[in-house]
Amino acid sequence: MSFSSFQTRFSGQKDALFGLAFRTSLLTLLTVGFYRFWMKTRMRRYLWSAIEPGGTPLEYTGRGSEKLLGFLIAVVFLAFYIGVVNLILMFVSFTVLNGPGGGYLLSFVGLIPMYFFARYRARRYILARTRWRGIRFGLEPGAWGYAWRAMIHWLVSIASLGLLWPRMTFWLEKYRTDRTWFGDQNFVQGGKWTMLYRPYLQAILPIYVSAAVIAAISFAANGITMAPILFLSIPWALVGFVHYRVQSFRILAENKSLGGVSFEPLPRSARVLGIYVGGYLMVGLVSSLALTAMAIVLGALAGVFGATSFDFIALANGNLLPYWFVAAFGALTYFAVFILYGALNQTFVTLPLIGHYAETLAVHGAENLTAISQRERDEATEAGGFAEALDVGAAI
Amino acid sequence: MTTTEPAPDAKKVANQVFANYVDGHSARLHRVSLNLDIPGRALILTPAQGDPIVWSLPDIRELPDQASKVTFVCTLKDEPAARLVITDGSVAAELRRRCFNRNQTKTTFDGPLIAKWAVGAVASVLLIILVLIPSMANQLAKLLPPEGERALGDATFEQIRSALGHGNFQVRTCDNKAGLTALTKMEATLSADLELPYPVSLRVLHNSLVNAFALPGGYVVMFDGLISAAATPEEVAAVLAHEIGHVAARDPTRIALRSAGSIGVLGLLFGDFAGGFVVLGVANTMIEASYSQAAETAADSFAHERLKSAGVRPDALAEMFQTMRKLGGDAQGIQAYFSSHPATDARITAAREASAGMTASSEPILTASEWADLQNICKR
Repeated sequence: MSFSSFQTRFSGQKDALFGLAFRTSLLTLLTVGFYRFWMKTRMRRYLWSAIEPGGTPLEYTGRGSEKLLGFLIAVVFLAFYIGVVNLILMFVSFTVLNGPGGGYLLSFVGLIPMYFFARYRARRYILARTRWRGIRFGLEPGAWGYAWRAMIHWLVSIASLGLLWPRMTFWLEKYRTDRTWFGDQNFVQGGKWTMLYRPYLQAILPIYVSAAVIAAISFAANGITMAPILFLSIPWALVGFVHYRVQSFRILAENKSLGGVSFEPLPRSARVLGIYVGGYLMVGLVSSLALTAMAIVLGALAGVFGATSFDFIALANGNLLPYWFVAAFGALTYFAVFILYGALNQTFVTLPLIGHYAETLAVHGAENLTAISQRERDEATEAGGFAEALDVGAAI
Repeated sequence: MTTTEPAPDAKKVANQVFANYVDGHSARLHRVSLNLDIPGRALILTPAQGDPIVWSLPDIRELPDQASKVTFVCTLKDEPAARLVITDGSVAAELRRRCFNRNQTKTTFDGPLIAKWAVGAVASVLLIILVLIPSMANQLAKLLPPEGERALGDATFEQIRSALGHGNFQVRTCDNKAGLTALTKMEATLSADLELPYPVSLRVLHNSLVNAFALPGGYVVMFDGLISAAATPEEVAAVLAHEIGHVAARDPTRIALRSAGSIGVLGLLFGDFAGGFVVLGVANTMIEASYSQAAETAADSFAHERLKSAGVRPDALAEMFQTMRKLGGDAQGIQAYFSSHPATDARITAAREASAGMTASSEPILTASEWADLQNICKR
């Protein structure tokens, strides 16, 4: 390894992140949702600062108040769009199709361009608020261009029965990367879209193979249950999909450059899969333990109030405990489960995933970084508000 | 703080401690040695080349929510793009002690701007939910063909049956022949010579709730509990007339179209915070309750007229209200009913006033045996 290469360190801790997620979710609940903008800000600050390429942590400089503002701006536009468009679609659906299905479908389709638009805008905001070595990242405007390109790529991918999917992955990534800047230096996505086919085989093969097997069997003998085939092919397809996600990220990142700086990411599909499986197991386990604890507390309280047997119907009818108490306890449990689930998810899935991607990233040609200068601040006034309002990009 | 104060950590600072510094203009990382000037309350950063940089301790700010518990990442109040990263634990601890303003945040006050957009957002949402969507829904409800309304009603009726049922079993519709015949006769008497957009479809659900409601497409649904609670057939007729009033005004269709629009907008506002779905449901119920008041009053007046022309004193409605209120103490559905039917006193008074000076027809709306049939409508 040359003198001017460095590795990335990751300093995120599960307990610290869980504490932060839990405290901020509680505040979000107590403020009927308003604190969520600050919660998101603080979670990002923590996660960004945990990633230390060459020992210098990334930094997130977004603010909660600007997110609230962006959300309000998005609401003004989207309330009109969603309210009026939904109403008209529902009317058309009942007039023409005599059922609600068409209306739901159409209103969903109508939101698809907004989804891509919002994703791009949210990315622009996040990059504009990310710094490393004091230098800002940035993304050029281009959300509508992204939205229509994404729509066409999706149509082509579907029409080709998935065969042209890697083409979409590559060209959309290239669109985003070629508009991404670090200081006054812009990123360039190199390579060809066909380089993604190798990992893509793992994702598409299970689907094609099981479709062929099912078709062959139903041709040969009618009435045989297909359940065992799906039992094998669905997990296989999921594994293949994760593999494609991880390895396409790796190949695309290997082919990116920033001036003379290049990247060597080595994420492992097995590790990522392990994080998903282990992480969700932990989330499920801890959540159900917490629920059991709540049920035991409620049972004990019912015992204190003189109940001899624990009967949920008697409980719901207010025969064991005062009705208001059961209702309040139920509401408390309901919200506690949501808060806990969100915090656990961040702790056992998001954090280890980011950690793995960070720790397997090496940067080469770092001597070229010294030539990079600061860029102007991008106000990005709407601050990911459309994404927030439409609930996309909710992962981090 | 004095110069004679023994500071063991400061000694270490004097012992050539290094940190990483960036100036906020270039991505070049500078290795600087740190020196603490205690009397001058300053931290002196000396790069390999160039002049030393002096950071005043009270002006140093630590970045919040950092993952590393050891590393001290800080900036300077007046130079917000510069960063100093100190990884040495004891030096970091020493600096945390001495930079007493480190947690002070610069308040970038977006207040006026946020207030402006908050007013804009609230105004636009209120305008859309309370004016635009209702008026569009009213217009569109008139244009909706009866088959479309019927489909909407079918879908809603099945949803309600599932919601009130247990597990996979929907709540039973009562189909005792004699009982249905009696109910149909009552309905025919009440809606005689009436021009409705579609015929009324009567349904009775086997449930103890003391309630009734209308759905799009002419559905009038009663719960068995209401029929059992009624003292006379006239009380049932009063409720039926009220629901036919909703059908005649196409209220259920307008409400269904309204909620199709307003649920989307409300979902936008509350997002997914801690299962916002529940909050969404509550908020939508509140909106519906508030805008159904005018519709309720109109349906009451409609019922008074229909009852009179059928020879029934409208105060039967008042009796039914009082029965419901009496039962209100322990039955669950009652509170829900009254929340969207406010000011019961006023409605009781209105029903009594409408009956003033009227004598009931000598012929009751149902004969004694028909009334018995109706009360047994859920018997199999």
